[in-house]
Amino acid sequence: MDDYQTCPKCKTTKYRNPAMVLMVNACGHALCESCVELLFAKGSGACPECKCPLRRNNFRVQLFEDPAVDKEVDIRKRILKEFNKRQEDFPTLREYNDYLEEVETIIFNLVFDIDPTNTNKMIDNYKKENKDITQKNRNRQSQEEMELEELLEAEKAQQSEKANLYVNAELEEKKQKHKAREKLIDELMFSDADAKSIVASHVQATAALAKEQPKAAAQPSSGVVKSSKFSSGIQIGLRGQHTNSFLPIPKQEDLPLYRYTAPVFDYDGPPPPPIEKLGKLNYFANIRAANIAERAGGYTEAMSCCRALQEALGGLFYSPQLTHKTAVLATNSSTQDTDDMETT
Amino acid sequence: MFATSTQRHFWMFKDETDVSNARLSANIKYISSRGRNMTVIEREAHFLNVVEEKSLIMSYEYQLRDFCRKFHPPMPRYVIGTALHYLKRFYVNNSVMDYPPKEILVTCVYLACKVEEFNVSMDQFVGNLKGDREKAAAIILNNELLLMQQLDYQLTVHNPFRPLEGLMIDMKTRFPTFSDPERLRPGIDEFLEQVFYTDAILIYSPSQISLAAIIHSASTSKENVDEYITKILFSEDQKRLLNLIEAVKKIRVMVRNVQLPHRDTIKALEKKLALCCNPDNNSESPAFKKRMKQSFDEEESFEDGQYPSASSDQVRSMLMGLSEMGKI
Repeated sequence: MDDYQTCPKCKTTKYRNPAMVLMVNACGHALCESCVELLFAKGSGACPECKCPLRRNNFRVQLFEDPAVDKEVDIRKRILKEFNKRQEDFPTLREYNDYLEEVETIIFNLVFDIDPTNTNKMIDNYKKENKDITQKNRNRQSQEEMELEELLEAEKAQQSEKANLYVNAELEEKKQKHKAREKLIDELMFSDADAKSIVASHVQATAALAKEQPKAAAQPSSGVVKSSKFSSGIQIGLRGQHTNSFLPIPKQEDLPLYRYTAPVFDYDGPPPPPIEKLGKLNYFANIRAANIAERAGGYTEAMSCCRALQEALGGLFYSPQLTHKTAVLATNSSTQDTDDMETT
Repeated sequence: MFATSTQRHFWMFKDETDVSNARLSANIKYISSRGRNMTVIEREAHFLNVVEEKSLIMSYEYQLRDFCRKFHPPMPRYVIGTALHYLKRFYVNNSVMDYPPKEILVTCVYLACKVEEFNVSMDQFVGNLKGDREKAAAIILNNELLLMQQLDYQLTVHNPFRPLEGLMIDMKTRFPTFSDPERLRPGIDEFLEQVFYTDAILIYSPSQISLAAIIHSASTSKENVDEYITKILFSEDQKRLLNLIEAVKKIRVMVRNVQLPHRDTIKALEKKLALCCNPDNNSESPAFKKRMKQSFDEEESFEDGQYPSASSDQVRSMLMGLSEMGKI
């Protein structure tokens, strides 16, 4: 794609000069920016391909790959400014279609330079006949555009209002919780009633409050009533889709809490004393104390003492068993033999 | 811990007969694969039998210990213990004739240094060997993977030394009536040295062995630690006490029966070994050298697990072993 965009005059490509921008002129041919400047440095120029006279401000930055498309887009814009009748202006569909076809013919002729004189005459004729209608349509268009803009702005305002409301509601909730907690503490301190009943009544009050919250939030704030549809029937904005997005998340039911269970080791021997009790049992008198360097690294005598004791006491109950793989193979073959014997 | 280790789950035997059976099956397998065309009498004359193999292994164990004793930097005893363990395990599964013990011996020590985190570089290591150093390094590196494969990649070994320390600490703390258990140390050390020449390490747990060492040393110095055992260690479980006493007795018997074979017999056996050993695995033989050269020329990659001395069913066991590598 980059290679395609070559300036026909100086032949630089986007590959060689990534900042190169092609400009399109009125006759539909492309020239890179530097060539355009060059051309008009020597006074007004002619298009290098078709030699039609050009003016500097007739050059637009190319939007499409094919300069011909750009040219057509330009012409279309220009023509449609003049030929801006709409469907409502015609009594029948057939006439509207005829009108549209006429417009397309004009554009086509202009783009491909077919019969320019006649086409231009047609345009002028049309202009004369439909001057006032064109003017009226122009006004109507601008009005509609303004309305659209207003609608968009209003919706933005509404959304920000909702967000603010939500933040405020949260703050309120926090304040209330805080107050309730303080109230509870005060009551516990000063009232004479039974502590349990006070706590229970507080729990009830907070539960009742919690129920009220979602109801309040569910009512949408009634802002300015604006039309929610375009004139053609399409809905404006995302209004229908997320009015419920600011509700608080429903509380999950209580799942069982994680409970830590310490791992159990089978020492196959008398149980060694746990590492925490070693100091009390005076084991450290019989083991080399950790020097400062070792202690700084996190090592304590308890660790090596505990390990030595575990290894010493572990395995004392062990009785000899055959676990070597030759045994496994041997037992397999012997069971096979017995199976054969049973079947026969 | 020993109770959850692979040592307990995969490398334990019920008694000495079981160990001999395993060695016997390895021996028979080798003889039957190599001596297919010979008669029974010829085979007996040519190949080593189980008893002869055992004596050979014992002599090599002594050699290993000597090598480690002269090792520079000085090797701690748990490394020696691990190396002896590996040697024993290797030759429970394989015959002496199949793989030359000298090479396996050195590889065992090298691997034990690595596993027990006694950091020795290869250069330092072969500096302790006599003879061609580069060749030795090549031998060790070639055999290392084979050794690991035969150990089923279960390399953690529990030696009796730490339980010994633990029992000493315990005795000093909970049994103060026995003054200065350190006096027993020389006897204990000697006992533990001897126990590695027996099969006790493949039958009993390391803490039982260290307890046997303590009892033995105490009885030789005419002391009595029975009170410690009955009152303090086993105060709750009297029935297991009998089990332990049985075990200790057997260990002591085994150690008492240790006998270094005579040097002349060893020499004769080594000569016989040189005749009947497997030339594919013996790095001296011309067949081996030819095969190695071939493999270099073809640039064989060992993707199918064909290490120079492995066979196809060992490949399968290697793949199984790989999955168990994480277990201790």
